[in-house]
Amino acid sequence: MCPPYGRVRMLRVLFCLMLPLWAGCGGGESVTVDALRLEAFEDATRMLRPEQVHLQRASLKGLDGERPNLGSSSSAWWIRVSGWQGAPRNARIVLDNPTLDSIDVFVLDGPRVLANATSGAALGREKDLIPTFEIPLNTAHELWFRVRSTKPVLLPFSLTRVDKAEVIRERRDLAVALYTGMVLAILIYNSFLAFSTGQRTYFSYIFVVLTVGLVQWGFNGYDRLLWGDVPWMAVNGLTVTGAFSGLSALMFARHFLEVRRYTPGWNRLIQILLGVYTAALGAALIGRPMLAYNLVNLGALSAPAMLILSIVSWRRGSPSAPWYFVAWLIFLVAVTMQALRDFGVLPSTQMTATFLPIGTVLEMLLLSFALGNRINQLKRSSDEANAKALAASLENERIVKEQNAELEARVRQRTEALAAANGELSAALEDLKGAQDQLIQTEKLASLGQMTAGIAHELNNPINYVQSNATSLNRDMEELIEIIEAHAAALAALAEGAPGAADMVERARDRARQLDLQFLMEESRQLIKGILEGADRTARIVGGLRVFGRMDGDELVEASLQDLLEASITVLGNRARSRARIEVNFEEGTPALWCQSGKLSQVFMNIVVNAVQATESRWPEAEDRLVSVQLTALSDGANAGEPTSLEIRIRDNGTGMDDTTRQRIFDPFYTTKDVGKGTGLGLSIVKGILDDHGAVIRVESALDKGTCFILTFPLHASGSKASKVA
Amino acid sequence: MADDIIRVLYLDDEEPNLFSFKAAFRREFEVHTCDEPHKAVRLLDEHEFHVVLSDQRMPRISGVEFFELIMPDHPDISRILVTGYADTDAVVDAINKGQVYRFVSKPWNEEELRGVIRSGYELNRSRVRSAAQGTEVLATLDALGKEIDRMAGVLSDGAPESVAQVTSDLRNMKLKIEEEHLRYARFFSRLSR
Repeated sequence: MCPPYGRVRMLRVLFCLMLPLWAGCGGGESVTVDALRLEAFEDATRMLRPEQVHLQRASLKGLDGERPNLGSSSSAWWIRVSGWQGAPRNARIVLDNPTLDSIDVFVLDGPRVLANATSGAALGREKDLIPTFEIPLNTAHELWFRVRSTKPVLLPFSLTRVDKAEVIRERRDLAVALYTGMVLAILIYNSFLAFSTGQRTYFSYIFVVLTVGLVQWGFNGYDRLLWGDVPWMAVNGLTVTGAFSGLSALMFARHFLEVRRYTPGWNRLIQILLGVYTAALGAALIGRPMLAYNLVNLGALSAPAMLILSIVSWRRGSPSAPWYFVAWLIFLVAVTMQALRDFGVLPSTQMTATFLPIGTVLEMLLLSFALGNRINQLKRSSDEANAKALAASLENERIVKEQNAELEARVRQRTEALAAANGELSAALEDLKGAQDQLIQTEKLASLGQMTAGIAHELNNPINYVQSNATSLNRDMEELIEIIEAHAAALAALAEGAPGAADMVERARDRARQLDLQFLMEESRQLIKGILEGADRTARIVGGLRVFGRMDGDELVEASLQDLLEASITVLGNRARSRARIEVNFEEGTPALWCQSGKLSQVFMNIVVNAVQATESRWPEAEDRLVSVQLTALSDGANAGEPTSLEIRIRDNGTGMDDTTRQRIFDPFYTTKDVGKGTGLGLSIVKGILDDHGAVIRVESALDKGTCFILTFPLHASGSKASKVA
Repeated sequence: MADDIIRVLYLDDEEPNLFSFKAAFRREFEVHTCDEPHKAVRLLDEHEFHVVLSDQRMPRISGVEFFELIMPDHPDISRILVTGYADTDAVVDAINKGQVYRFVSKPWNEEELRGVIRSGYELNRSRVRSAAQGTEVLATLDALGKEIDRMAGVLSDGAPESVAQVTSDLRNMKLKIEEEHLRYARFFSRLSR
């Protein structure tokens, strides 16, 4: 940004730029040939036609001053202009107020309208920038103006030579162009700054510049160059740009003076004023131009309010406040001068007309400097902060170096202490491992106990009826033999023709009847059938047991999972079967794999018994409890559907587990059973055994739905070995 | 009670066991067998049984539970539990809950089981008898009570002849009580033997 010297230079340049404005305006007065005489009456109904106005001559009142001000109202004003009589042919009547919405001119001869012309902002015509009218040919005729405007009806009539009128227009163009050039320069320069610094204040500032510039254009009627084609904007343009100007000025003040930080109490006032301007926009939109204009005027209260706000901020230490105060003061002075001019306190010269634009340009420039100053301050404070940070980091580095040496010494000490502790922990771990081995042994014995009970029950039943049937059969055989012998003796006696043979036959028959021969024969058959059945069952159970191999056996054998599952369920037998329905579904011809068969049987029994227990906890009736065991071969589809793994699913419809339990079931010593009922090692041993086999165990479970254990045995390594051996 | 035939009911879920049992004991006892607990309950309601045997491990209900179930309606029946393998829990339950008379393990010894059934029958008889005796004792006591009431009524007259009458009645009553005492002493001594 500019150093202070640069700022002074810029002011000087600015002053030089302003000179032509003054120069251009200076010669304005000489143009007016003579002061005209004005008389006016108000037509509140706005219905009066030009044919009727001659009847209203009585209500005409004379208007004094060079710039009569009739204020703003919704009425139409009829003004009779005289004093032009005797003016030269090239004289024109000029009504130099481009903000008037509509101007109708009538040349009247009594009730007759001889000629008429129209002008005004609402038409949006560029040639109406300085409304100029020809004077009537006949001095006996009357010249009437009808003026309607939502803006103040300010009537600076003058009589000017036609070529002078054009000169006024040219000078006005030049002045506005100069002003526009300055505004654009400020706008572009600050837009560049806004985008390069990214500061929010800059963005609101460029809005202030833009809208203030537009308002100045509007005052001079130049806004019709922008939106003359839009009738609504032709009427409301000044109001709308005024409202936006107020809005942006307030937003800028809020950012620039950091209202939230220094004067939070004023925020409410700013919000109210923002509301007034927004309401003005709303009123313009709903077609109430008068109300909109008055609301914008009410919003002008923000000008003194912001001035006071800047003083308050200044006193509270805001560094930007003095700049703002000066800039705003200049603006306010310019506005006040303009108002004084409008009300005729100051002479209405072209010079006084330049006060407002010059004031606004100065305000913009000062604010621009202030913004630059602020950015400089921010930069300075950030530089200081950087320097401080650098110093602090250098200091830190030194401290860190010192501490590092100390730390190294401490680390050495701690390392030695840790090594000692580690030794102790290793010893403790050894002890724990010993204890764990013992517990695992206990768990093994427990499952051995389960097995023993199952096997005992399973075997004792068939043995019972084999033995009992044999005894009964023995007895039946004796009776049968007795009958046979009696018959045989009787037959022999009959053959020999011995006396009493008929009696013997009769006795033998009696005996057979007495002992119920038919029944004896049937019973014997049944007894033999029972013996055969029992023997067969016993053989099957013992066969199943053989599959297990030794419970402790670590040696690998080639076994079929189907056989192992069947044997496990047989051995669990009634123990499980009487407590729940056990459904099996084994895929035919699944390949065998190398495994520790006894250990795997322990795994299957453990899971099945858990499943049965889970169903028992949920269902009171054994029929409702269901455990299903499924064996399938899985293929990844690579080797022409050759199975790559075997999957066992052991599913129950028991109580199920919540997620916490499910995640912990394989932890050693974790048990949901009562103290003393389980060691909590069952599933952790299961996991260990499956890990040894390279198998994966997964658990799916939902409370009150059931649990499914999914065991997957890979076939790749052991499978190929098995097939080679086979 | 009229005849000496011992009626036995055997409940087991395995049919070969039922057949073996019937074949082994049909000569001595009237054997009924059954493989469903609810059928067994119906049989018990329909016939008078002296002894009931049940397997411990059955799919729907354990033997002990079955005994618990029938106890309120048939308290006098002798209950014998038969099982292939007995863990401690089952034994404790059998005694505490099922009030089992005997515990027999499979495979059974036929002679031993026969003896157990017979002694069960004896127990049942003596239970039934003592129940009947108890009823009799109560009846006798009731009669004595009424007699005393009557004598008290007679005495309330205060006439000398009625005193003589009551005295002789009391002597009769004493004889009667001694007679009853002797009878019950014999009965109890037989029970305790």
